This record gives sequence, C-alpha cells and structure tokens, in this order.
Amino acid sequence: MAPEPNPGVDGPLFKRALLGSLSWLSANHEEVNRLNVFPVPDGDTGTNMLLTLQSAVEDIRESDAAEVSKIAKLASHGSLMGARGNSGVILSQIFRGFARAVEGKSSLTPAELATAFEEAANAAYRAVNKPTEGTILTVAREAGRAAAAAAATPGATIPRVIAAAADGARAAVLKTPSQLQILRDAGVVDAGGFGLQVILEGMLKTVEEAESSNGALVTSRSAAPVASQVAVALPEEGWGYCTEFLIEGSDLDLDVIKNQIEALGNSVLVVGEPELVKVHVHTDDPTRVIALAGRYGKLLKLNVGDMSTQHRRILEDEGQAARAPRPNGVGIVAVVAGRGLVDIFRGLGVDAIVEGGQTMNPSTQDMLTAIESVPYEEVILLPNNKNVILAAKQVLGLTKKKVHVIETHSVPQGVAAVVAFRADRQGAENLAVMKAEAERVHTIEVTHAVRDTRSNGLKVKKGDVIGLINDRLEANGSGYAEVVNKALGKLAGTFELITVYRGKDASDDEMAQLESAIRSQYPSLEVEVQQGGQQHYPFILSVE
Amino acid sequence: MTRTFAVVTDSTADLPDEWRELYDIEVVPLKVLFGDETFRDGVDMNNEEFFRRLAASSKLPTTSAPSPGEFAEVYQRLARDHDSCISIHIGAQLSATAEAARIGARSVEGFRVEVVDSETVTMPMALLCRVAAESASLEDAVAAVKERVPKCRVLALLDTMRYIEMGGRVSRAQAMIGTLLDVKPMLLVKDREIKAVDRVRTRSRAIPRMIEFFESDMPVEYVGVMHAQADEDAGRIAAGLRERHPDLDIPIGQIGCVLGTHTGPKALGLVYIKK
Repeated sequence: MAPEPNPGVDGPLFKRALLGSLSWLSANHEEVNRLNVFPVPDGDTGTNMLLTLQSAVEDIRESDAAEVSKIAKLASHGSLMGARGNSGVILSQIFRGFARAVEGKSSLTPAELATAFEEAANAAYRAVNKPTEGTILTVAREAGRAAAAAAATPGATIPRVIAAAADGARAAVLKTPSQLQILRDAGVVDAGGFGLQVILEGMLKTVEEAESSNGALVTSRSAAPVASQVAVALPEEGWGYCTEFLIEGSDLDLDVIKNQIEALGNSVLVVGEPELVKVHVHTDDPTRVIALAGRYGKLLKLNVGDMSTQHRRILEDEGQAARAPRPNGVGIVAVVAGRGLVDIFRGLGVDAIVEGGQTMNPSTQDMLTAIESVPYEEVILLPNNKNVILAAKQVLGLTKKKVHVIETHSVPQGVAAVVAFRADRQGAENLAVMKAEAERVHTIEVTHAVRDTRSNGLKVKKGDVIGLINDRLEANGSGYAEVVNKALGKLAGTFELITVYRGKDASDDEMAQLESAIRSQYPSLEVEVQQGGQQHYPFILSVE
Repeated sequence: MTRTFAVVTDSTADLPDEWRELYDIEVVPLKVLFGDETFRDGVDMNNEEFFRRLAASSKLPTTSAPSPGEFAEVYQRLARDHDSCISIHIGAQLSATAEAARIGARSVEGFRVEVVDSETVTMPMALLCRVAAESASLEDAVAAVKERVPKCRVLALLDTMRYIEMGGRVSRAQAMIGTLLDVKPMLLVKDREIKAVDRVRTRSRAIPRMIEFFESDMPVEYVGVMHAQADEDAGRIAAGLRERHPDLDIPIGQIGCVLGTHTGPKALGLVYIKK
C-alpha cells in the first residue's frame, strides 16, 4: 500500500475547516436550540453558538494567512468579541486555548493538533468559575482525549484525529444526561455540548472533502446528527430507546457482549466480526448500554432513537408540577367529565380524575379508588357537582387517608378551588382559602329544558335554552347568547373575567356568536374561551 | 467627592435614568433580538418602542448577554480615570453576563475589577449600585454590596404566562401552572431561584395579594415598584404603600427590554432589599 499523504493543518486548511463548522452549525443550530432545558442561560444555545462562531470567522474570511497560528488568533479574537450566552463564552475560551497552543506554528502535525484540542479544553475549564460536568466542558475534554489517543496510534492522520475528536464529543454528549439531573429531567442531552459536537463534525466534513479531492482515504462515519440521536435518555420505566451502534475493537467476543447487553434490554441483536460488531437493543437505559459497550472498543454510528416521544409529550402536557412530590404532602382528586376539562384540571395539578358529573354520577367506590391511587396520605376531593357531593362525603369513613371534601357545586367552583391550592401551604390553611375562592366565583350553566316547567317565576318549554346561575334557573330563551346575557344581567357586583367552557355539542358558530355577544355587552370584561368538552351543557361560564 | 473606583452594571438593573449621572454609574447593555435584528437594550431601543414591537411581533424576541470583549472595552475606557471598579450584574442563574464581565476583566491589565453576581435582576441591582457608589472605597463597596446580595427580592406579578414560558427561565412546574388556563402567576426571585408563590386568575385580586406578601416579608431597607407599561397600577401600589409606611421612600421604575422579554407587558413588581 502506498503511504498516505499526510499534510498538516496550515492556515488555509484551518480556515476552510472553520467555515465548514460554521455552515454545519448553521444547518443544525435549530436542533441545538431544541435541546434547551430550564433554566436556559440567555435564550437559545444553538443561536448563541452560531452567532459566536460567525463572529469568530468574520475576519478569517478576508485573511489569506498561510500560518495556522494567525487564523487561530483571529478566531480567538472574533469569538471573544461576539460571544453570546454561556455556551458562546465557553466556545470563545476554547478558541483562545487553541490559539495559545498553536502560537508561532505555521502548520500542525496530527499530534500537535490533538494537543491543541486538549489545551483548548483546559483553557475552557480554567475560564469557568465552577466547572460543571455534563456540559460543553466535559464534551471538549473528551474530544481532546479522543484526539490525543488517535494521534498516538501509528499512521495517524489529520482526518483521523478530527474524526476521533468528533466521535469523542458525540459519546460525551450522549453521556451528559447521566451527569446532569436537569438534562435527565428534561429528557435531552446538553445543548452546548451538542453544539461543540456539530462544530467538530463540520470541521471533519471539510477536512475529509479536502482529503478525498486529494485522492486519499476517507474515514467512515455517520453523516449527520439526526434528531432522534439527540433525544436521548431519561428512561421512564417501561419506555424504550432504540439504541444502535458499531463497536470497533479487536478480539471482540460476540457472545459475551450479547449476554451483557441482554441484561439491559430486549430485541437484542449483536452481530459482526471480532473487529467490528453491530449492536441493536431496545433499552430503558441507553447510557448504561453505551458505557458498557465503550469498554470493548470505539463506538461508531451511535444512534439512540426515542421510541416514546409521545410519552414525553404527554408528560409535559400533564404538567410536571403534578409529578413533583408536594412539600405539604397533600393530593387532589377531582370529579370531572369532558376531555378538555380533564386536561384543565390535570394541568392545574390535580393528581387523579374521577370521570363523572351531572348525568353520570360516580360511585363512592370510584372516588375511593382514585383517592387510594394518589401517593399522598392527605387528599382533597372536589366533587364539582351538587349531585356528587353526598357520595363524595361517604368516602370519609372508608379510608385510612385523611380526606377533605370541599363542596364544589360546579366546574367553575372546582377550578377556582384548585387554582388557589398551594403546595407550600398546610392543610387547614389551604382548605380555607380554596373554599373561599370557590364560593367567590359565580357559575352560569347553559343547557336545554328537557320538559315544560315553571320554576323561579319562569315559564319554560321543552327544548328552550335555559341558564342556571349557581344551580338556580334564572333565564330562558331561544338562543345561547340571549340567555347568557340575561343571566349575566342578573348578577350583582363587579366582575373582571368570564371564562367560557365550551361543551361538546356547541358549534363554532354558536361559540363565536356567544363570545361576541358577551364582548359587545360587557366590553371591559376579559373573556377567555376554553374547550371543556362536557356533555349536556353547551356552555358553562365562570364569572369572577 | 471624587471616587477612585468606577461602578458598572448592566442594562437589566433598570437603573432610573437620573441615577446614571447622579451616582456616576456605567451601564453595559444586553441585547434584544427580534429575528435577525439586534438592539442594545436601552441604547438602540427604548422601553416604549420595545413593548410596541413586542405586541406587534409574531415571534417572541430573545435576549443575549454582552460579550467579554464589550466588557473589556468598557473597563479599558474606565481605567483611564479610575484605579479600579466594582461591576454588579444580573444573577448568573439567569444570564451569562457576569461570566462575560469576569472574562472581559482579565484582558485589562493593571485595572482591578471586582465582579459581583447580584443573584437577582432589575431594580435591586440598581439599589446595590447606589450602595456601592456611596461607599468610601472599593473594599467598602464590595463588602456592602455582598452583604446585601442574599437579601434582595423581586416579587413579580405577571399578566400572563406566555412570555416567561417562552423565555425559558421558569418551567411550568416551578410556576405551578397548567398550560391551558390563563393564570396570573406571582413569582419570587430569591436565593438564585425563581419560585411561584401564588397564582391568581384576576388582576384586581392579584395586586392586593402581592402587597400582602410583601408586607409579610418586611422589614426592608429599600423597596421600589416596577412595571411594564402599567404606570397607573404601579402608581396606585406605591401610593398605598407610602401611606401605610411613611418611612419608606418608594421609587417607581420601568421594566426594561431584556426583562420585559420575559415578563411581557402589564407585569408589576415589588422589589426590595430586606433588613
């Protein structure tokens, strides 16, 4: 075999590499942005890193310096001037360390390049007050280490060193959730670290293209960071991550690897040769699988697919507030019917829902089961319908748990009570405030009369639209808007906010008509429309 | 009295305009980005213009810290007629500004820069600057400011969850808020954390609750009222507090562009330093 050409990194090549990083990061920065978790330092990590990198290469574009040191110095200065956000600032320090390491050099050997990567990481660590593992810092260090290891192997080339750095970065990125609780909780890898990975990959692409146009060997690697690859970790029990990679090593024992991987998941596939093994597994703990496999050799083409994005979406939708243990140890159970209303109550932090309401009153047993399912010894039960209150009160003698029934007569009362609940307030105090808030709101329920009747001085025909204020029949007529405005007119006092819960049977037109009728009659009121999805009541209004 | 040390802060201090000259405080602007357009907070864009654009913009703006290089330039300039400086910045849990200041300071030789992470945001920072500016020496200033950092509080009443949620500084979990119902959260910035202390559905109920919370957290050394395009409410709150607590001087300040990106319009705040 003919010896490979082994050119070093000079000014023009480093310039091209940085421009390659810029275009690759620019193509992928939204991907990086998507990884942001709370709290995000200064907005969007991907955008901040991109702007920092743009500023780093700004002066380089015009430069035809032959020496790598000059290009590195321009990058260092430019990134320092344009650094944005925490990750951008650290990136600027990486450039600074790199520039220092290559000072006075016109071209870098593979070993010198690796040293410069390592020095860049060291500089970044030194720049930060309290270095945190599981961030871009860790990723920079692991990239440096991998580069150094690659440089130490015989026949090392520039593309191999950069490929090793990019692979090292990728492996480190995938491990970040195991190092940082916040990433684990959010179900993502570290955004800044991933940004650095993208930058190294951009460099690699450029250098590989330069090599291949020289007719030299191109190192193989996976092309692009796919979205699923970054959505790693936070195994919630029972949810799988499709994890795939190659192990490159020597004398690999397929059976041993297979046995160990089988202990960590299912659908296990371990195939290949002693030098290259392909692994596929569905696991709840991809980080452990990766760590284990990493002991056997270098991991290539690592891809972790989240098989449970839907699960995660639901988790978010339901509001994580409900999942964190409450300081006061009090749970909430609510009786609600209608998809929208169920979501609203859940979003406000209710732990368990008992399906039911006006026409399908839940049994005491249903409520008892829900109360027992809540992981708290003290539970507040909201019946949210006057016909449910009695059954709700029966629960009191049937459980060892301390149960409080707040006698909410309606959905608006229930919402008002839950909104007033505070996890840092003790039981009795919470109950008093919730009860007071529930009693403060007025409920208007709008439905159709099921028979002719006379009530409260009103003569009602079957099929009429009727409006009940706090359970009392107060208005009737032929249209929803008319009845609602009549009912609102009967309420005494001053109000600020009307929340309309739209029922399952109310059409878009009816909704729009009602909303504009209220707004034109009461222009100073805030009107909020929510999809309640309840049956039998086209509209339920909360007035406060 | 001429001070030998300079006092530097950033635009998130929402420093009242007249304090800048009165106490000789240097303000380094953060940036607000509407799409591709970048504005320096309070320099290229004032509060009125910002909230007008915020209301008109379909995509929410983002914010970013000054770069280390920008800090270096400011320090270099100040080094001409000062021997040192105290640089008081927005809490590091909220922004990279203090980190950028620290790195920027390193490149200025022969000029001592004491960067202080205020752990807070908005007017408490301005109050800390005032404390620093009134100190006899840099050492005194640093000691006086650091002693007060753990006592700073920002109690904010947002008119909507939309902006704080999009801004990403506070999670829904922290704010105890479901996504569906529009609830007005009351947040407290304290000990490097932002916590929801209450949630209320109507503004007229929320304001007394905020005042009640503040009064239960007294005594205070300083207090101010902040608002984003809600000067009438702010004026009423300040007047009520002055009546009940005649010993307190209660300035009213405006929430600036960077903070406004996260609070949205009509936000109100009581900001104070506990005794």
